[in-house]
Amino acid sequence: MKPPPFAYARAAGVPEALALLRDAGEDAKILAGGQSLVPLMAYRLARPSHLVDIGRITTHRYVRGDGGGLRVGALVRHLELERATGLTGPWQALREAAGRIGHHPVRVRGTCGGSLAHADPSAELPVVAAALDASVTLQSADGTRTVPAADFFLAPFITALEPDEMLVEVAFPAPPPGLRSVFEEFQVHSGDFALASAAVAVALDGDGVATHVRVALGSVGPVPVRAREAEEALTGGRLTERAAAEAARLAASAAGAAAGSSAASGEVPGGGADFRRELVRTLVTRALDRLKEKS
Amino acid sequence: MNHRTPSVGTSTPRRGVDDLLTGRARYAADLDRPGQVHVRVVRSPLAHGRIAALDTAEALALPGVLAVYTADDLPDVRIPVRLPFAETAETPPLLQPPLARGTVRYVGEPVALVVAEDPYTAEDAAELVDVDIDDLDVAATMAAATAEGAPRLHESSPDNTVSTVSLRHGDVEAAFSRADVVVRERLTMHRHTAVPMETRGLLAEYEPATGLLTLWGGAKVKHFTRQALGAMLGLGPERVRVVEVHVGGGFGVRGEPYPEDFLVPFAAMRLGRPVKWTEDRAEHFVATNHAREQEHEWEIAATSDGRLLAFRDRAWCDQGAYVRSQGILPGLLPALHAAGPYRWEAFAVDSTGVLTNRTPTGTYRGPGMTEATFARERALDLLAAELGLDPAELRRRNLIPAAAMPFAFDAPEQPHVPPVRYESGDFPASFETLLDAAGYEALTRERQRLRRSGRLAGVGLAPYVEIGAVGPFEEAFVEAADDGTFTVRTGVSSLGQGVETVLAQIAADALSVPFEDVTVDFSDTTAVPMGFGAFASRSTLLAGNAIALAARDLLAKAAAEVGGDPGEVRFDRGTVRGPGGATAPAGRLPAGHGRFDKPHPGFSFGAALSLVTVDAATGAVRVLRHAVLHDVGRAVNPELVRGQLAGAASQGIGGALLEELVYDEQGQPLSTSFGDYLMPTAADLPEIDVFVVEYPTPTNPLGLKGAGESGMVGTPAAVANAVADALGAAARPVTRLPLTPGNVRELLRGTPSPQATTVHP
Repeated sequence: MKPPPFAYARAAGVPEALALLRDAGEDAKILAGGQSLVPLMAYRLARPSHLVDIGRITTHRYVRGDGGGLRVGALVRHLELERATGLTGPWQALREAAGRIGHHPVRVRGTCGGSLAHADPSAELPVVAAALDASVTLQSADGTRTVPAADFFLAPFITALEPDEMLVEVAFPAPPPGLRSVFEEFQVHSGDFALASAAVAVALDGDGVATHVRVALGSVGPVPVRAREAEEALTGGRLTERAAAEAARLAASAAGAAAGSSAASGEVPGGGADFRRELVRTLVTRALDRLKEKS
Repeated sequence: MNHRTPSVGTSTPRRGVDDLLTGRARYAADLDRPGQVHVRVVRSPLAHGRIAALDTAEALALPGVLAVYTADDLPDVRIPVRLPFAETAETPPLLQPPLARGTVRYVGEPVALVVAEDPYTAEDAAELVDVDIDDLDVAATMAAATAEGAPRLHESSPDNTVSTVSLRHGDVEAAFSRADVVVRERLTMHRHTAVPMETRGLLAEYEPATGLLTLWGGAKVKHFTRQALGAMLGLGPERVRVVEVHVGGGFGVRGEPYPEDFLVPFAAMRLGRPVKWTEDRAEHFVATNHAREQEHEWEIAATSDGRLLAFRDRAWCDQGAYVRSQGILPGLLPALHAAGPYRWEAFAVDSTGVLTNRTPTGTYRGPGMTEATFARERALDLLAAELGLDPAELRRRNLIPAAAMPFAFDAPEQPHVPPVRYESGDFPASFETLLDAAGYEALTRERQRLRRSGRLAGVGLAPYVEIGAVGPFEEAFVEAADDGTFTVRTGVSSLGQGVETVLAQIAADALSVPFEDVTVDFSDTTAVPMGFGAFASRSTLLAGNAIALAARDLLAKAAAEVGGDPGEVRFDRGTVRGPGGATAPAGRLPAGHGRFDKPHPGFSFGAALSLVTVDAATGAVRVLRHAVLHDVGRAVNPELVRGQLAGAASQGIGGALLEELVYDEQGQPLSTSFGDYLMPTAADLPEIDVFVVEYPTPTNPLGLKGAGESGMVGTPAAVANAVADALGAAARPVTRLPLTPGNVRELLRGTPSPQATTVHP
């Protein structure tokens, strides 16, 4: 569990990081919190030629409102999201998801941008990004582009990032009025990878009718899965127990369909596809139950 | 006479904890010798195949690489079996060579050894060793290995078995023919093992001038390692010194002689430089002994009023690809523990070791007994359900009564099989103590309350017996010094049990001197000519009694100097005083010597009790209460005993609920990191209630029984019984572990959808 040789450089700022990245070539990797990359290197499953360490960059460690929306810098640590008291209502899922990542020491070092860029199918933050219609900002020495979450995650551990690009920010658009979100996850025991997760966001109007619904699932497919049939079934109605049960059933079948096309399922111990489908049903039920209770 | 308060029986603070807590403790990986080099073991990537070619040229060409060894460079040696009763006529050709010779038989089997200036280079070079293996068919499971036409692992074993241990007592057929009720079940304990926080590590140095080889990082059975290495390396044991350093967990797997224990000193001798090896975690999961994987077909005959008549246990015990230093123990120990603490009229046990293309197995805390207890106690709960009898009542009616002690089943004696003889104890009273102290009635009421609130809740019990006090003997020396201190030397090992503390307590009492004045030294095989080590819950018992005898011998030697009876002499700050006033410097006395022999092991009683809830929707099991009781004979240091019992019970809960070494059909291990092999954390464990009972045994002067493993033995069985109780009769029966959420959901699938779906944990 000693990594093969690699070159290492620490960047003081984003421009320097991008320059280093461009010069280092295709096999370079950005090192942020290192909580996924370093173990992969120790197991020699990742063999970067260069590491560009962005861990000490201070300019991208912010969580700020933006005209009703939310912008999170790539170097915000999970623990900072977990403890950000302002992340309630529409942003509740983000805070809850951050608190379920790994163990406490992992959350001290692990970064928001790192989790998104790593694109582990069982990671928490990509699911929240999908549920809250987030987009990510990718920057290279040549310029900047913005990619919706739906187009960013391509396959397990594969994203739209080019080798010379760095994910610098994730932006959540201004939510529809009354939006609230929650995150539910099942791990065999605390700190494990999720066997299934669900980020659910619902906006209810004054009559308790759902006007906007997002149900995003993690650990059940190669990338975060939107349970669109469940979303449609809930939209325009009240969050009755019956409606929630039906939505949970539809979400489970979406998970089943995704698992069928995924090489990722079954890799986590004790996580057969049937079991994950059951878990999705339970998690979505629990999420909707919480969203209903608070209204 | 002296009127010192005895130290034995008090919870004297454990020695050496400051070093552990402040990071001053030095483990094998912390040791360095000038000029040392590092090794990396090249391991087989395939479960079964013939080595067609092994090309080391590219690895050797890497700068910093000193040597690459293959089987051709080694003498034709095998890692020997340590205990005589674990060796049979079948085992010699099944023993493991330090590097694979021609054939690889499990993923992780050492095939070459790279030596380099630093561990990074060694690992880089290991990747460059080109091992060309022709695939052979894989016997990835015991079922595959014993099927018709199965691939054969070893020439000497056409049916892929090692040997079968058979125990017979009474007339089994007659007892079954009289039965009102017969229950049968196939029960499976899964593969898991000890995963100590510190992986294994070794550092070897050979001095050509003196011909002396020193191996740091030995543990558990240092003297055996010394003997084995002395023979394998052609040195003779007197030129091998095995030194123990701090240990981050043993639990049965650390300190057995492994292939690496030969390879590291071999390289040191070949190169004339100190050689260091630190096992990494991924290696640990394939290289260190696995354990526990067994299947038991259990059959019980009983009367309608719940009297046990007889049982049959047909067991298959996975040995993995080779027989290692613990020989046939994986099959022998469960056989010895099948009967447990009950009065059977008859039984028949046949336990077969099976060879598979998996990592070889050995002993893990509570070996064999944990598996046997799981199988028997699960079967007994099925019987209790069949009879409509409270599980505690079923046990109560069948425990061997105190009046029957010492108790032995009239099984015919066999070579290699230690007699199953229960020397002392009061099983029924101890069992009642657990039920009373842990509040069995209250727990069952709590279960009913939880059930009324829509939860799945269950209570489980598991009494057991545990082998311990395994001989053959242990020696001790006690030396007095002029500064008033005493040094005790013995051949057992410190694996974190606190044995250095309890042995000092025993010595202090035997000498009537303060505990603080006694030091126990067992770190080095040069300190004592012979020792057998730390296993089978034996250290305190064997070494403790030897120390008491050595202290008596020292007092007799003192009396010879200053007159009077040994009981009348007194040590006083470096001076020994006789009853007549004569004195002598204590340092002038020859060392006291004691030896305690234990030709046959002893057995002790214990029981575990568990209350669990199950989240019906997710299958997640939560242990709300867990209690363990054990008869330790006499608790030298009650707090340390409790720590041992609680620690072992925690591991038992991990084994019951989480830990599993999973393989695919091609024999590829899937659990090679903590992401896949799930260990319990404090968050997964309840407060463990520990109850220590003391029925001193007459078979040793101190009255001691073992305690180091006891908390483990009944725990998986009790948890399994509690989960089965929680799932209820509508679910499928619990017949295999671990009870992970996915496996529990599997058992519940098809049962009526629980209303608990909406209840939050």
